Parts: sequence; structure tokens; C-alpha cells
Amino acid sequence: MKKHHNNPDSCTACTVCIAHCPVTAATNQFRGPKMVGPALERMRLSQEDVEPSLEYCSNCKNCDMSCPSGVPISTLNMLARAKLFKTRKHSKRDYILSHGEQAAKLAAMMPFGAALANMGMDMSRGILKMIGISDKAPLPPYARASFIKQFKALRQQSYPDKVVFYPGCFINYNDPKVGMDFVAVMQANQYEVIVESDLVCCGSPLVVNGFLDEAEANAKINIQILKKWTDQGIPVITCCTSCGLMLKQEYQELFHIEGVEEYAKHLYDAGEFLLELYDKGRLNTNFGTLNEQYMYHAPCHLRAQGMGLPGLELLELIPGLEVKDVDAGCCGISGNYGFKDDKYDIAMKIGAPLFAKLKESGLSTTISECGTCRLQIAHGAQVKTLHPMTVVRKAYEKYGK
Amino acid sequence: MVAAAVAAKNGKRVTLLTLGAGTLTIGGGIIDVLGYGDEGVPLATPRAGLLEVGPEHPYKKIGPVAIEESLRFFKEICAAEGYPYLGSLDEMQWVPTAAGTFKPTCLIPKTMDTTQLNSATNVVVLGFEELKDFYPHLITKNFKNIPGFQDKNYEMVMIDPGLADGRDVTALDVARWLDTPEGLQDCIKQMSTRLKPDSVVIIPPVLGTRPDYVIADSLAQALSCTFVETAAVPPSITGFRLRTMLLSYVKKLGVRIVEQAAVARSIVENGKCTAVVTDGIDRERTYYAKAFILANGGFYGGGLVAEPGHAQEPIFKLPVAAPEDHELWANPNLFSNKPQPFAKIGVAVDETMRPLDENGKVVLTNVFVAGRNLQGYDFCFEKSGNGVALASGYQAAMSMDREIK
Repeated sequence: MKKHHNNPDSCTACTVCIAHCPVTAATNQFRGPKMVGPALERMRLSQEDVEPSLEYCSNCKNCDMSCPSGVPISTLNMLARAKLFKTRKHSKRDYILSHGEQAAKLAAMMPFGAALANMGMDMSRGILKMIGISDKAPLPPYARASFIKQFKALRQQSYPDKVVFYPGCFINYNDPKVGMDFVAVMQANQYEVIVESDLVCCGSPLVVNGFLDEAEANAKINIQILKKWTDQGIPVITCCTSCGLMLKQEYQELFHIEGVEEYAKHLYDAGEFLLELYDKGRLNTNFGTLNEQYMYHAPCHLRAQGMGLPGLELLELIPGLEVKDVDAGCCGISGNYGFKDDKYDIAMKIGAPLFAKLKESGLSTTISECGTCRLQIAHGAQVKTLHPMTVVRKAYEKYGK
Repeated sequence: MVAAAVAAKNGKRVTLLTLGAGTLTIGGGIIDVLGYGDEGVPLATPRAGLLEVGPEHPYKKIGPVAIEESLRFFKEICAAEGYPYLGSLDEMQWVPTAAGTFKPTCLIPKTMDTTQLNSATNVVVLGFEELKDFYPHLITKNFKNIPGFQDKNYEMVMIDPGLADGRDVTALDVARWLDTPEGLQDCIKQMSTRLKPDSVVIIPPVLGTRPDYVIADSLAQALSCTFVETAAVPPSITGFRLRTMLLSYVKKLGVRIVEQAAVARSIVENGKCTAVVTDGIDRERTYYAKAFILANGGFYGGGLVAEPGHAQEPIFKLPVAAPEDHELWANPNLFSNKPQPFAKIGVAVDETMRPLDENGKVVLTNVFVAGRNLQGYDFCFEKSGNGVALASGYQAAMSMDREIK
């Protein structure tokens, strides 16, 4: 595969992507990935061609995954969206949804900022609704202390083997426990975790709303910081599958940044990294027995990475633990797509088969790598959710007890 | 997918490396075994055709016993998944198409059974408002030119699925409408005023997206009619159901599926493959196994690559015989009664589906080849695509079981 060629002419119009697009299945207002992506891209190459239904693409990447000809259809859509906003103004809603990092930073700077912001968010749902953010959508609250803050307060054991952790906005500001669990898991494997506090948002929420220039600026900052480590052969690990996809794949598809191919070789999903340690006989397998049952949901942005489902395979190593892949497709949220008032119902319709299967399972908790998938699943299926790293940490802590 | 199912059924630990969703969704969802002979003449039965195929043809290597077993295996999968298929090697199924023609095939879902249609005097051709690529008047007009169908009475009926506000409507949209309880009720209501009981109704492939007969049976019971789905243009709903069914089956057997796995090369030691390597956008990943089954398609799927005068199988670098003069690759008369030479280009194999070199010697002892990677058949011309895929996938996995201990 190597670097994707964003060439619409590789598309043979076979329609496989239409059959596998969750948005197409949920609404007939979207003209579908084939038409909006490669077919119209041919037009866009020669003249401005505004396709109103372009806004329906959620960038979930199921079209790319289904394409037999390797066309990065969703990326063509994102590039078209960026082109559109070169001459148009963004809505307030899209600005807010794309710049969650700025708001989170502001809240984190003030004393009790997160708590106040959460209170404010509860009260301002009406205002958010007015600008087009659904008042039903599962917007995540801020954590009391960010991951970076908690990490700085943590005293790690030093080891010669090191990894760099890229937390991403969701883990940093909304769900720092996942990051702390990851650090504990790495420590149990005699790795020291490095966190760079100058890293910025990966850019995924910017790209989906057409803020491509800002996303590229972020990409340059992140690559510059991370490259210092990857050049030394030190791996960079993510626990968020959308950040992971962005940092290694979409940076290559969307931008032309020097050295990105070499740097991408050292990027890992946490589950993938640990599974590789297992293959090398280097994984700490001192897991305690967890007599627990969970469902597992594979995020689309993990499936798109061509590595299977490493988190699920990793969990299979834990004695007593039973985890079943729900295998019911996209949850619908796709980053901030399902937060939008006019997309909320579509997102819920996309996720409906998944929610139904999770409810049917009778199990109270679903495991998934992606933070926004977990929000949507908790909202749609009324179940608790966990990241695989939380469960792995628990298994280590249970060992010998 | 069939090879994975057979291997997993035989107790093997199977990983399926996939790139794209495959072509089942754009195929007809039926199992064409053999429809036409070498001169383009329709065969009486698929079995009759099997006796006549040339020495290069995959069916010749596989042999009639394994072909029959593979069909039985497939029908067992369908039955286990609650979506049984009809047909056998001893009967040619002629299924109607959306162009108002008939095409020969072997195994079909029961929604394509034409028994009632063949004997009916009155036939309804039912279309849906806004649905593209299914025009009842075209079907009716063409049916009237087909022997056995000239003297029937045709009536055309249109149903409105309420999809006018939005994109161009495909059969998939209508099938999804019928998947919903409201859509099904609305459709029954509309049909009940226009269809007389005991009618035989030609319908596009819209009877639900799931691999079961729930929608078909609901309509048949509510209206006391027989519905016959046609073969139609992609996206193919019957193909979509077939893919969903096979995926469901292999997953139940514990087959691990890796999506977006672009296998770029293999690692070979002493005539044996030890691993294949995927070339992701980030880095390479290596998959070790005792044996490998290659089933990644022909020129279209990337399983074969061509340049003028030369063709190759890119992963194992298997030899692929092709005329040096590329002018000889194509038959310029597209609609003639001769197959296309390029369509027959592929990997030569022995009876166990192991790849052969120019001298007929096995190249890799633990690699087996199935489907369109194989040489010696023009599936489009002779109507044998899913048949060869099924039989060779079955044979490859069964041979692997015997050869690799």
C-alpha cells in the first residue's frame, strides 16, 4: 500500500464503498462515498464544484476499508471540505467542536476551571443547541486534573527501555485515567514512559470540519517533537485510535511533510505494542485471574490501520477473562460528527444495530479503545465502558492476590 | 473466504488478510459453476460442461468429486446460517436479469427460483419509483422475445418506497427500506391493492439486506404471491447477503480477520514460505504460518499484475505464462463467441492447487492458490466465477490439510 495516491481515477465505480458506508445506510441525503469522493473529485480538479451532501461524510473510513482499488475516498472528501472553506466562513459550531483543545486548556488554567466549565456546560447546553450542537449528544465532561498534571505528579521507576506516550486531547482533558493506566501497564513491563507537554491536538477534529491549515500546523509541531524520539528508535504510543490514525496515516495522506514516512514507522497503538512484546517473549504475563465478562467494540479508526484487533488479542491473554467482539459496525459518533445537532439522529441510527447487540448481550460493560466510541456506546446502549489498558492494569494488580 | 471456512472447519488456526471488501458485493450472489462451453454455446447442465473443460481449466485439476463436495460444503454453510441455497450440478438454473434476459447459473438463493415463473401464464413485473437500472417495460419487452416467455401475459406494477427526496435510488436503498418494519408494512399495503393472489412477481433484488428469507417470506405470506429476484447491477444485494453470510460463518469458527492488510511480499526458505509481509502506510508487519492460501483475485483485485507482454503474481513471484506479444492478449471482438485470452492468464497449479513453474514442478510446497489467481478460465465468458472460487478454495484448503501436518 505504502503512501496512498489520492488519485480519483483509481476508482472503477464498482459501488462496494456505497454498500459499506454507514452514513449512506442511515440517510438518503448523502449521495454516497463513490459519488461525493472520487467521482466529483474529477470535477473538482478542473473547477469549483460544490456538493451540498459532502457535509454528511463522517470520515469514519469504512469506504477506504471496503475499496478494492485502494482509493482513500474519505481523505478526498476531507480535502474537498478544506477547499470549500478556503472561500467560506466556518460556523461557530464547527469552530467550537474543532477547537476543544483550546477550551480545555483555558479551563485547565483556572483554579477549579474544569469543575466550573462542567457546570457551565450543563447550563449552556441550551446555548450550544442554538449554535447547532445537539443537546442530547454525549458531550464529555472535563477531568478534575488533566493527564499531564497527574503524570507530572507520578514518580515512575526508571528503566533503560523507554517509550513516548502521545495522550491526545480526550485522554489528557477528559479521560486521564486511561493514560495513567497505560503508564502503569508500561511500568509493569519495565518501560519508562516519556510524555512531552508541548504536543498539541493531532488535528483530527480540525480536519473533519475543514480547518486543514490549522491541522497541518499542528502536524508540523507534533512531528517535530516526536521525531526527536523516533530518530533515536524510541517508539511513540497512542491509546486513542483516531489520534493514532491521524499521526501516522492521515498526516501522510493530507500533507507533504518531510520525514513523515520514517517517523510513522515508529508509531504504535498500545495494544499492538504490547502484543509485539508478547511475540518477542518480552511481555510481562504475570496477569491475575479476572473472572469477568465484557463485550468489545472495534473502533473504525483501529480497523483502518491494517493491524487487526490487537487490543482484543491482548485481552485474550488474561486468564479467566471473557471478551466477545460485538462486531456490529460503526457506533456513529465518528469524532465530533454525532455531537452536531443535524447529525445526531444519523449517528444514533448508525449505532443502533451495535447498541441493540450490546443490550442483547446482557453484559454491563463494553471495552473499546476509542474515547468517543465509548461516549456514544455508553449513551446509546446504556452500558459502562472501559479502555483495554484499564483492564490490563487491573490484571497486573490482581496478580498474586 | 471459503478456503478460510474449510481450513477453520478442519481445526486450523486461520488468519484472513484482506484488502478491501472483495468483489462479492458487486457480483450476483449466485454460484455460477459453468454456463457456456468454449464456443459460447449454453450447456445443458453444469455437470455436462465439467466433462468438456480443457486440461488447463481449474475444474480439470480439482476434479468432479471435490467440485461436488465443495458445493455440498457451501450448501451446508447456507443451511447453518439460515439462508439455504437451491440447485445442483445436474440442473442449469436460468435466472432473470434486470435487462430482461436470462443467465445460466448453478446455486441460487430461493428468492431466485424460477420454477413458478416458468409455468406461469400471468407474470407481474414490479418496479420501484425512482429506482435506477430496473425498468419493468425493458424487462417485459425483452421477455417477449424469449422462447417460452412469448405467450405469457405481463403486467407492470410500480411501488413507491418514498425515496424521492434524496440521492439516486439503488436496490440497496429499497432493500434497506424493506428491512424496516414500517417499510415492509407500507410495501405490503401498496402491493395488496395491486397484486392478485397467486401471481408470480419479478422484482429487483430488494428482499432485505440480511442473509435470511424473513422479508421474502413475509411478502409471500401476506400477498400469497411468488417473488422472483433478478440479477441486477451493483451494488448487488444478493452478493451483499452472500458476503455477510460467509463472514458470519468464518467468524463463528474463530477465523481472525485483518482488514487493510496489503500483503506485499513473502519470505521463502528452501521451497517453503515461512511468512508474508504487509506493507502498511506506517510500516511492514510479518505474519508467520505453516501454510498459505493465495486468493486475492486477478488483475482487478491486484492478485496479478501486468505490463506489456508480461504478467506476474506479485506476492510469491509465481510464474505466470502470458503471450509476449501483448496484441495477442485480447480478442478485439468483444461480443464474439470466443473467450478473452487475458482473462485466462493466471497461475498454473497441480491437482492440489500448488503453484507450478514452467516445467510443471511445484514451486512452493506450502502455498495453495484459489480463485481468479488461477489460469485457464474466462469466468465472464463461461459464467464460472463463484464456482471456480468455491471449488478451488475448497480444494486448496483440503489439500493443505492433507499435505501440511
